[in-house]
Amino acid sequence: MSMTFDHPVTTPELDKAERALIDESTRIPVLLFYGSAVFWLLIGTLFALLASFKMNAPHFLDQWGWLTFGRVRPAHLNAVAYGWASPAGIGTALWLMARLCRVPLRNSGLLICAAIFWNIGILLGIFGILSGDGRSIEWLEFPNYASFMLFVAFGLIAVWAVIMFRFRRPGHVYVSQWYLLAAFLWFPWLYSTANILLNFEPIQGGAQGAVNWWYGHNALGLWFTPIGLAAAYYLIPKVLGRPIHSYYLSILGFWSLALFYSWNGMHHLIGGPFPAWLVSASVVASMMMFIPVITTAINHHMTVRGNFHALKWSPTLRFTVFGAMCYTLSSVQGIFMAIPSLNKVTHFTHYTVGHAHLGLYAFFTMIMFGSMYYILPRVVGWEWPSARLIRWHFWLSAIGIGVMVIALTIGGLLQGLALLDPGVTFMASLDYAKPWLLLRSGSGILLTGAHIVFAVSFTLLVLKTGKRREGPTLFGTDQGEQPEALIP
Amino acid sequence: MNALVYILLAAGLIFFGGTTLAAFYWAASSGQFRNLEEGSRSIFDGDEPVGTATDVFADKKASRPLHRASAGRTFST
Repeated sequence: MSMTFDHPVTTPELDKAERALIDESTRIPVLLFYGSAVFWLLIGTLFALLASFKMNAPHFLDQWGWLTFGRVRPAHLNAVAYGWASPAGIGTALWLMARLCRVPLRNSGLLICAAIFWNIGILLGIFGILSGDGRSIEWLEFPNYASFMLFVAFGLIAVWAVIMFRFRRPGHVYVSQWYLLAAFLWFPWLYSTANILLNFEPIQGGAQGAVNWWYGHNALGLWFTPIGLAAAYYLIPKVLGRPIHSYYLSILGFWSLALFYSWNGMHHLIGGPFPAWLVSASVVASMMMFIPVITTAINHHMTVRGNFHALKWSPTLRFTVFGAMCYTLSSVQGIFMAIPSLNKVTHFTHYTVGHAHLGLYAFFTMIMFGSMYYILPRVVGWEWPSARLIRWHFWLSAIGIGVMVIALTIGGLLQGLALLDPGVTFMASLDYAKPWLLLRSGSGILLTGAHIVFAVSFTLLVLKTGKRREGPTLFGTDQGEQPEALIP
Repeated sequence: MNALVYILLAAGLIFFGGTTLAAFYWAASSGQFRNLEEGSRSIFDGDEPVGTATDVFADKKASRPLHRASAGRTFST
């Protein structure tokens, strides 16, 4: 019973061959983006460790200007946000686009150019930041010569996405595709507008802060979130073989995200020198985010419900469901953080750092890991080398990020309450966070371990080492059995 | 800040706002919001139909059904 609308006559064999063809067509671009993502993940992790250790021992490695906190910290943020998370997201999105358009990937030259521009941009940007050329604008620290490269890459990918969509096979546009198109088309615009207004033709005064957070928050909500959700909305049903619980809610979730999200950024400026209406409108829009968040949470939970034991069997599902749960958690947390009375406590503390990692790591990065576990074997035609490595990867990263978020949350709250207490000096307020920052560095070591394990696993798979495995997740093998067939 | 930048930004705003509205209109008028049940099944095909799980650990042989639907349960929302 085929569900494609335009193929009245189709057989499972045809469907399988067609899917294999589509997967194979994405190989070079997906591997380019995934490969550079894993490389920058390791570099970004190194900067993260350095920056974290400097919180425990401020004079650690500060004899070189290149490795001072003010440079290492933005180098970490940019290496993981633009070097790891974005290319990982793009790789996933390319593969999803081809599958959802139901045609082999075309014009891969555009994507290969984009990947080259991308990596040159990141390299220049990180080098620029370390050499003292960075901008003091959070999320946009890259100097102009680097951000221009990234813009070219974004532009090429956006053009490719439009071409891909234009030549798709007709039929239903699945919810994941809406998310992907939104990310591909809106982000280059956000990125260029923010860069023009802040770096190329800078506007003056407080308005810079408004543009900064309009961009900073939208990068999370209109770039990373849509790609992460697109992957979850595809992978969870696909792995379980079960359609999404309520498709209606998923569509509602997408359009309400599109409507409300771009208003949210100003909640970063609560208490700042900005027109009250600007901040208030943003706080209200932040509350409205309950609609897309709850719809997504209900959908993901209800789709997996009754099949939670599958988390034991499927690496993809384990990572993806972990990420989807953390999406709900971090979004709800973010909504509460926009309430001015709570914001007063958490703003300018480590609590915010914990929230950022809950969003970009526990949600987005975990879903990207899950996506890679699903996509790579199908694209490369080779199974993951070792289930043990996957288990180590999962537990190290899950425990690592859990400890990190808890440590930063508690440390940040203590710090925030002390900051509000007129009886406590500023320096004393920092002392409250100290033990928790030590714990955070410990969690960073766990995450570093997770990333090294994953990089090893990734390299072994791409190099096709070891004996060829015949498993149900293999791409294009004739012997590939369905999991049910394996049940004794 | 020169006028060209303003024009560029305004054009971007109109273009991206406009295309989003156009996309919504297109989706509504071309029936994307109808037949949602069928839409949710558009990611399945004859080879990987509803009820077929598609991922396990490389070294695992699932000892029990990955999915209850493999026992023949069908899904309807």
